[in-house]
Order: sequence, then structure tokens, then C-alpha cells
Amino acid sequence: MIQTKGLTKYYGDLAALVDLDLDINAGDIFGFIGPNGAGKTTTMRILATLLEPTRGRAFIDGLDVTKKGKQVRGRVGYMPDFMGVYDDLKVFEYLEFFAAAFNIPRRQRKSIVDGVLELTDLQSKQTFTVDSLSRGMQQRLSLARVLIHDPKVLVLDEPASGLDPRARIEIRQLLQELQRMGKTIMISSHILSELEEMCDHVGIIEQGKLVFTGTMEEIRRRLGVSTMVRLQVVGDPRRAVELLNALPQIRQARRVDDHITVTFEDDSDNDGLIARTLVQGNIDIISLQPEQIKLDQAFLQLTKGIVQ
Amino acid sequence: MSAGVTIMNFGIKLLSLSWLTGPIFDKELRVSSRRPRNYWLRFAFLTLLTVFVVMVWMAWVQPLRNTRGSYQILRMAEAGKSIILTIVIFQFCATQLLAVIMLSTSISDEIVHRTLGVLMTTPISSLQIVMGKLFSKLLQLILFLALGVPLLALVRVFGGVPWDYIISSFCITLTAVIFVGSLSLFFSVYNRRAYVVILKVFFIVGGLFLLLPSLLTYLILAWFRFNPSPVFMDYVLYIYSLANPYVTFFVETTIMMTPGGGGIGPAFFAYYSWPMNCGIMLVFSALLLGWSVVRVRKVALRQACGEVGGTSARPVKARKTQADGGAELIEHAGTIRRVRGCPIIWKELRCPLLGRRRIGTVISIVLALAALLFTYWFCARTGILDNEEIQIAYVSIFMLMGMLWCAVLSATGITSEKESRSWPLLLATTLSDRRILWGKALGNLRRCLPIWLFLFGHVLLFICLGYIHPLALLHLGMLAGWVTVFLIGTGLYFGSLFKRTTTAVMANFALAALIWGIIPLLLGLLGEITRYYRDLAGAYLDCTNPAVHAIVIMDATTRTRGYLRFDWIEISDCNLWQATVFMGYVALGYMGAGILFAYLARRRLRRNVF
Repeated sequence: MIQTKGLTKYYGDLAALVDLDLDINAGDIFGFIGPNGAGKTTTMRILATLLEPTRGRAFIDGLDVTKKGKQVRGRVGYMPDFMGVYDDLKVFEYLEFFAAAFNIPRRQRKSIVDGVLELTDLQSKQTFTVDSLSRGMQQRLSLARVLIHDPKVLVLDEPASGLDPRARIEIRQLLQELQRMGKTIMISSHILSELEEMCDHVGIIEQGKLVFTGTMEEIRRRLGVSTMVRLQVVGDPRRAVELLNALPQIRQARRVDDHITVTFEDDSDNDGLIARTLVQGNIDIISLQPEQIKLDQAFLQLTKGIVQ
Repeated sequence: MSAGVTIMNFGIKLLSLSWLTGPIFDKELRVSSRRPRNYWLRFAFLTLLTVFVVMVWMAWVQPLRNTRGSYQILRMAEAGKSIILTIVIFQFCATQLLAVIMLSTSISDEIVHRTLGVLMTTPISSLQIVMGKLFSKLLQLILFLALGVPLLALVRVFGGVPWDYIISSFCITLTAVIFVGSLSLFFSVYNRRAYVVILKVFFIVGGLFLLLPSLLTYLILAWFRFNPSPVFMDYVLYIYSLANPYVTFFVETTIMMTPGGGGIGPAFFAYYSWPMNCGIMLVFSALLLGWSVVRVRKVALRQACGEVGGTSARPVKARKTQADGGAELIEHAGTIRRVRGCPIIWKELRCPLLGRRRIGTVISIVLALAALLFTYWFCARTGILDNEEIQIAYVSIFMLMGMLWCAVLSATGITSEKESRSWPLLLATTLSDRRILWGKALGNLRRCLPIWLFLFGHVLLFICLGYIHPLALLHLGMLAGWVTVFLIGTGLYFGSLFKRTTTAVMANFALAALIWGIIPLLLGLLGEITRYYRDLAGAYLDCTNPAVHAIVIMDATTRTRGYLRFDWIEISDCNLWQATVFMGYVALGYMGAGILFAYLARRRLRRNVF
């Protein structure tokens, strides 16, 4: 659904994007991660036809964003990392204005606006002026705006920034609902744990270059980090470590403080194996906790924290 | 010893004014030093000043070329007077104009960027915010005034100009600048749009210092059947001079040019003192600034408490409703207006032209109409309503208002969207560039039309009364048409070129000033220097200047003399058909140029978006 080939953007001498290749499937939620100034917003602006790439091509639903701008805009809902406010317009008027701007026939506009207001839970605010809304409400309104023309693709630049935890959860639920409705969503965020919970794929970008793209599973493989288990046993843990290290499925078992960390050779479910082995060795288990690599860790390991 | 040091430190701190302006002053200067437009502005200011001075110099020197040396020396004093007068008048007008523009976004910028609330969380007081903003801009304006000092000092060597005049004009200019700057700053607390502030200040200054005294003088003259006692008129002039820098400036200039006082009686001089005017203007400025400080504090505290938006001093009218669950919801009053036709035009017309305060706008319009009807009544009473000079004056004022309105509004159409960051959202819709631009142009046109109602209402009224020929409507219609189309085209172009409203408005003004003021001046200068192209400036004005067109049209269509004979500066005695064809060509030329600018704007529409 979204594809970029060698996408490059220079601002003067500064390379904001260098040969970016992306391929996002229809119906996916794609998390776009990177430090500030990495090129996320530039990529999204190019996809929204607001910036021309210096080199390379980008496609939305098979349409070249530089050549078929108007058609692309009809298929994309772009939410920037800021709220564009029209003074003196009320929430309903604001949404109807954009409905008209997307050439939605007048007789359909009211029902569409009512629909997106309901979806974003903004019905009670429809007579409020846009600039009087709180930050969270403005983010919801922005989301309502991008949905107004029922786009196939949503390009959302940090939609949850500045929101309180409750509002963030609500936005996340809304995005998952939109995914169920068949939308392809490209989302950037600094709150990595949120992306982890809802993204099918992630792309990590740094200094304009794509450092990594793939599923969470592929990140683990790429980093060479297999599934880990953290366990606590009664008594001396040294015997437990010896028993576990003797198993071929286990790469390493080591004692860390009062617990044992076990790393497996592959991703298969080996929790039962540990329990069985330790019980057979007459060792009582207090706790057994699987540990997976977090997106935050992957981000830190894959990027060097270099900011342009 | 230590007491002495403490006193000295206190004195230094007091003199440094940092207690009054805080770090805002430094920050503003630092920011403005990084803006190339300020350097361009200084360059333009100095260039214009030089052009004016050279023109006056040439006008004085050329006739003296073949005269004796002793006569030339004698005339140098007169030349010196004229040059100094040119410099002083130029500075008086230009610095006030710049003060209004430079301070038009001083507080609203902080409100829009939500930094005012942040400032309130620091030890900076609202007084320091206001004074820091004002003083930083004043320093730049004083720099503009200082640019003319070497010239003034040089020319003063010629003799004929007392130091008193230079000092008084400088002080009057400075206090007038402080007053209009304070007014602009005051309005910027209430309005986030620069053009609204600029227009309000123009209308208030024009009304207070020009229209009101003219009206009062006229009333007084009419009351005494145009034969008042000179002593009484001296007193009237004295009262004006107290609170009107324009009158004081005029009086000072008259005294300098005509040592006898230029017809001003001794009763006036018995009390007159220009420092009094400066003091009163400073008091007025202080009152405005004090009011601004109070308002800034309130707005800043609201923003610091998390309230969003809000340049408006009053909270938005709201009413409480009972929600289904019993909880109270605050619902904002007012009806929803459905989008009809082109969304861009709908949006342009949906937003009130002069902010949310409709009552204020209606009162202003009613007052303006009442003042206009009042002048009609008095002119009619004294039997001069059909004089061509009176009609020319009316039409010229309405034309000026219309041009000002169009120049400001057209330049703000795109930049106000850029400033509110809604421009990328609009460009991300399926609306084509042509449609967006067309919508903006039509929206601007619709917003500009009301101001022309004054002109056409006036002309229509006097056509019905039989004072003006109906064809004036056609010619003035053509004139207003091309002025509007041209200014909308240039405004859209500058809107697409710049990010900030103030820059776009200034650029639009600068272009109009260049075409209609500076180029003819330069041509006049060229004529004076070469002696071969003296007709060029007149011909250029005939072909391009809307004010010249308006004067010629009214001169020819008012039923006094030379009825329907059109006398231009260089083209004399045109008949109706020739004049109409000529004006048609000019209109086509300007409309073509306006469309060309709009085309260039379309090409730039997606550049400089963020």
C-alpha cells in the first residue's frame, strides 16, 4: 500500500532522508521510530504530497506521490505533529469544511461528519470553537479530520504526543478499531511501548537512513536476542544453573543477584522444559517470568542516538 | 565606601533600564537582528531618504546653475531649509508607519505561540513584557531617526535652520512614534491578526488626529459663518497643538519656514509650547501601556492556567446544559453554519473581518457613517457640496481607504493560514492549487467589497443629487476594479512568498509605494538631472497612479467647470471616449499584472509550506 524506493531529501546540504526503501502492506499498522531529526516527519510529508523528494519515488496504493498528487491526497489522511487551527470555526464547521475540501457532496457531509464525531467521541463538542478545545480534544479532532474522506491510508505524525495516559489509550484503541476497518496506518511516535502493542511492523530510522524494518520477531532475530526467562528458586541457585546449562535448547543460564536468567537458542516455548528439568532435579521454583525484548531496547541497540 | 558603591550600582541599574524591560528587551533585539527584513528595511529607508533629499537638492540647484556665486550662497540657506524639512517630514511619517507595523504582532505573537503563559511562570512581570517589547522596537526606530542625523547636521551648515526646530521635530516625532507604537501594542493584545491591528491603528490615528480636528474646525468655522475671530482661532489651534502631534509638527514647521509665524497670531504663542504636546503624548502612551500591562497579565495568567487560544479579553459566551447522565456540560452558544459552495470562499467569509466583537464593528461603522453624514450636512449648509475640490477630497479619501484595505487583506489571506498552521492541512486535501488560489482571490474580493461601498455610495448619492455625472460611476468602477484585482494578485503572491503576515503586508505596501510613489519620484529626479525627460514623471503618473486617475475623473465629472473634459498631467483635454479608452488600457494592464502575480503565487503555493 505504501512503498518508497530510494527516497532522498536534501535541505540545502543537509540530508534529511537517504535512499529510504519502505514497503508497507495493506491493513498494517506500521510504526516509524527514530530520534528527533531522523527524517520521520520528512518521509510523512513526502507521502502526504506536501514535500517533493530530491530523489527517489514514493507510491501510495500504486500511485506516484509526485506525479499523481491529487489522487494520492484522496487516498491519504495526513495528521501532522501540530494542530492547524482555524480561528472562529466550530468543530462541526471545521470538519464540514474539510469534507467540502475533499469534494464530498453536500447532502452526504452531515452524516459523515456526525459519523466521525461519534467515532472520535466528539459529539458533545461540535459547537465548540476549535481553538477553545484542550490538547487531547484537538488531537481527536485532528484524527476526525483525517478520517473525513475515508482514506485508505492514514499517515499520523506523533498522534499521541502531549496526551495524558487515558487519552493515549483511547487513541490507541481508536487506531486498532481503524485497522479493523481495513485502514493502513503509518504512525510515528516517541512512546515506543505504545507502538509495540499495536504495530505489526516497525521501521527504525536514523540520520535519514532506515536502520531496520520488519516485525518485532525479526528485530529479535536481527539483534541475536532470543526469548529470555527470569526465574527464582528455593535454596542454592548454582545447581539449578548447572542443570539448565546442560540442556541443548538453552544457550546460557546465569545467576544474576538472587535470580537466574535463561536465554534460549530459539523462540519456541521452552518454559515447560525449565519447569520439568528443575522439578526432576528436586528444585522448587518460586517464580518463572518470560522476558521479551522491548521496542525501547531494540531502539537503543539499533540506533546510536545520533541526532542530525 | 560600600554605601557609595551600592548607590552607584543602583544608579547604573536604574539607568540601564533592565529593571523596566527585563530580558525581553535583549531577546527581541537578538531575534530582530537575525531577520534579514530588518536590514532590508533600513536599506530601503535610507535609499528613500536619499532620493527625497537629492530630489529637493536638484530642484534647488538646477535653477541656480547660471547665477552668480553670491546669489547661490544666499539661496543655500533656503535650500538647507527645504532639505531639512524633507528629511524631517519623511522621518515623521515613515517612523510612525513602521512603528505601527513593527508592533502589530508584539503581544499576539506570544499569545499565538503560547509563550506568554510560559513567561508568567518566570519572575518576568507583565510590565517588563510590555516595556521590553516596546523599547526593543523603539530602539530600532530611533536608529531610523538617527540615520538622518548626519544629513541634518551636514545640511544645517547651509544655515537658515535653527537647532530648535531640529530638536523639537525630533522630540515630536519620537513621542508620536511612542504613541502610535503603544496603540499598536495595545491592539495586539486583543487581536491575533496583524492586519486588524494595523487597520485599527490607521483608522484611529486618522480619525483622532486628522478627521476629528478637521471636522471640529469646520464646525467652528461654520458656527461663526466662516468669519471667526483670529484670536479665537489661535486658541483653537493651541488646544489642538496640546494633544495632536500633527498640528504641533505643522506649527513648528510653519514657524521655521516663515519666521513671522505664518499667520498664527500672538494669542497662540502666549501659551504654546511643543514640550507640552510631547508630555501629553507620553501621558497618553503611558495610559495605553498601563492598560496593556493589565490586559497582558490577565491573558498570560489564563494561558499559564492552561486555557488555550484567547487573545480575546472576554471569555467566549457559554451556556450550561444538562447532559444525559446528569453531568453539566459547558456548551458554547451560537449556531453552526453549513458549508455552501466553494469551501475556501465559505471559510474566508465565515470568519468575521474584524474579530469576534461584532458590536464594536457595528458601532465603528455607524460612527463612521454618522461622521460622513455630518460632513455632508455642513458642506451642504455652506453651499460647497458641489465644489469639485470637495468631491475630489471625498473620493480621494475613499480611494485611499479602499486601497489600504485591499493591500492589507489580500496579503493576509495565505500568511494567516501559515501562521495558524492550517495551510499544510489545506494543501493535503484534494483541492487543486488553482481552486485554492481562486477561492482565496474570490474570498479576498468579497472581503474587500464592503470598503468600496463608501466610495460608490457617495458617488451614487451625488449622482442622484445631480452634482456628479453618472459616467463617474463607470470610470470609478473601472478604477476600483483594477486597483482591487492588482492588489489581490500582488497580495496573494507575497502571501505565498512569505511566512509571516506582517512581512507580506509590508511587501505589498512597499510594492504599491514603489509603483505609485517612488518610481515617479525617481523619474522626476531623472528629469531634474538630465532636463530632457521632465515630462516622463507626469506621463508615468497619468498611466499608473490611481490617485491621479481618481482626481482626473472627479475633476471631469463634477458639474462645475470643464465638464466631461479629462485633463491629465501630460495628456490634456481628452474627451469622454478617449479618456474611457485610455483608462480601459490602464485597467487591462494592471489586471494583467495582477493575474500574472496570481499565476506566480500559484507556482509558489506548495513551496515554503512549513
